[in-house]
Amino acid sequence: MNDRQQEYQALIAPIEDRMMRAVWRIVRDPDDTEDAFQEALLTVWKRWDRICAHPNPHALVLQICIHSAHDVLRRRVRRGRWMEAAAVPEEIPDAAASAIQNVSAAEQNAAVFRAIGSLSKNQARAILMHAVEEVPYNAIAAAMDCRESTVRKHVARARTKLRVLLSQLIPTVQKEERSHA
Amino acid sequence: MRDEIDELLRSRTDGELPADVEDRLRRRLLEFRTKVEQRRPSRLRAFTYYVLSPPATRVAVMTAVLLVGLAVGLVLLPRGSRAGQVFAAAAAQLRNSQSLEYTIVLNEQPYVGVDFSYLAPGYRRIHCSWGIEIRTDGTTGKQIVLMPAAHAYLNESGKTVESQSNIDDFSAQLRSLPNQADDFLGEHWTGQQKLVGYRLSKAPPNGSIPNLKMLDMWIDPATREVHHVDITVQEPGKPEHQMHIRNIFVGRTPDRALFDLTPPAGYRPLVVPNANSSSALPAAPTALRAEIRQTDELVAVVVPMKGPYAQTAAALSSVQAYLKLEAITPVGPPLGRYWSEERWETGYPVQPGTQVEAPFQVVSLPAGLTAVVVVNGPWVKDTEARWGAFLKSIVEQGYVPSGPTMEIWSGEDGQATQSTEMRIPVTKAN
Repeated sequence: MNDRQQEYQALIAPIEDRMMRAVWRIVRDPDDTEDAFQEALLTVWKRWDRICAHPNPHALVLQICIHSAHDVLRRRVRRGRWMEAAAVPEEIPDAAASAIQNVSAAEQNAAVFRAIGSLSKNQARAILMHAVEEVPYNAIAAAMDCRESTVRKHVARARTKLRVLLSQLIPTVQKEERSHA
Repeated sequence: MRDEIDELLRSRTDGELPADVEDRLRRRLLEFRTKVEQRRPSRLRAFTYYVLSPPATRVAVMTAVLLVGLAVGLVLLPRGSRAGQVFAAAAAQLRNSQSLEYTIVLNEQPYVGVDFSYLAPGYRRIHCSWGIEIRTDGTTGKQIVLMPAAHAYLNESGKTVESQSNIDDFSAQLRSLPNQADDFLGEHWTGQQKLVGYRLSKAPPNGSIPNLKMLDMWIDPATREVHHVDITVQEPGKPEHQMHIRNIFVGRTPDRALFDLTPPAGYRPLVVPNANSSSALPAAPTALRAEIRQTDELVAVVVPMKGPYAQTAAALSSVQAYLKLEAITPVGPPLGRYWSEERWETGYPVQPGTQVEAPFQVVSLPAGLTAVVVVNGPWVKDTEARWGAFLKSIVEQGYVPSGPTMEIWSGEDGQATQSTEMRIPVTKAN
């Protein structure tokens, strides 16, 4: 096994599944997922030497994947394509309660992804790494090449923004709103 | 406790990766893996990232880079820029000046130099260390060549004298400098005076220094006047030669008497070949063309002399008598070397190793590049005219005298077979 094979085994092989899933969880479209994944791999290829020397290479690779996926999501949101391509089923099998629930869930998902797509790059990367991939703050800071406190700020601002955008999906917020009314 | 937004994001983004999508992504991964495994390692890039990766190192490196950038930006670049302004100002002074004086040292040892004075609109005076002075009035096209050693002068009207051209070129060179030098040489202290240096790698327009390698100008930044110039010439197949321009005065009005075309008292007119035949001056000797060649070393017994050259015959007789007394046989015809009437000597060539007593001396005449011409006829006829024509021929061939004049007299005294070999050490003029 040569040096490069060893590097691949150490850096990419352990997180292959995680990389694929991280992109899919954000993009949710087979073609776009493939494009985003390909884009992420290209970035990894370009920064290979840097990744090899990085103190937390796995976090960095994951961050690259999330960044690439978020880029696709942002483009989609900007084009207003989300709803047409999103998971709102075109055919509803019957008018039973479960079908209505399906439509409702799809709309809620679309709202969540639209909200994520409207976040800034740093906020999106920070909160997706922290909340979805459950990467510790210090590892996110290393991957984003900034201080931990900065990551926390990004996460806090992202939460604030999402809380406003997704207020209808958060039970406590709904409760508060109702009590104010 | 987890934040509800985090929970919401996690729950809404959760989901299994469909098998067909996973297949497509795995194919991409496989391609990527192949590419990575075939990738050529870049140790330099890896090392750079390794060094820059720790934040502490990166901060230190970035600070150092910033400091270097600041140093270049705030200190070095403005200094070069200010220095460039100094050069431009000095060049402008030379270009616009109404008068200019300087000395060109063609050779340090033996000293060969030319003093040059210029006054607008066209007055020039060139004083050569080898005994020629040329005064030119550009407004009338008149020129006078003075030869102090021979107390003779030559009038030329509306003609270009070849010997002057090189010096004019130097003058034109200094007066047509570009506004920007090729290199900045830094600072140099001469005693208490600070000088800044500039290099021109090619001759400025209007000038012509053949085989010029570099022209270094040293300028006083306070006055923006050129202090001195070092010129390096590299002729093919020869060692480098250095010349210098010193005593440079820009804008100082020279003594107008320097440009006076009236022959000084005690000087006689001189006739050279091709001169106006209608002149009432004595007939010129036949055209003399100096031959420039290497001569061998010569050892001679001489008697040092001072005073009029007319004592030559008497001095030579004393040497002859001494040699006869000491049974020393001369190995060639008699000779004389003349610096001035304050210093000259005459004697006979002898074998090396010969010993003599005072006042006689054994001298060694070094080998070297010498201008030589042999003139048939009486030894003492038309001496000044011969030397005038000889010196003119040397200068016309691009050489300048670099030592004392010398004559070797062959033939018998009082006979028609007499001939004189005239010699003078020379160097190539630039």
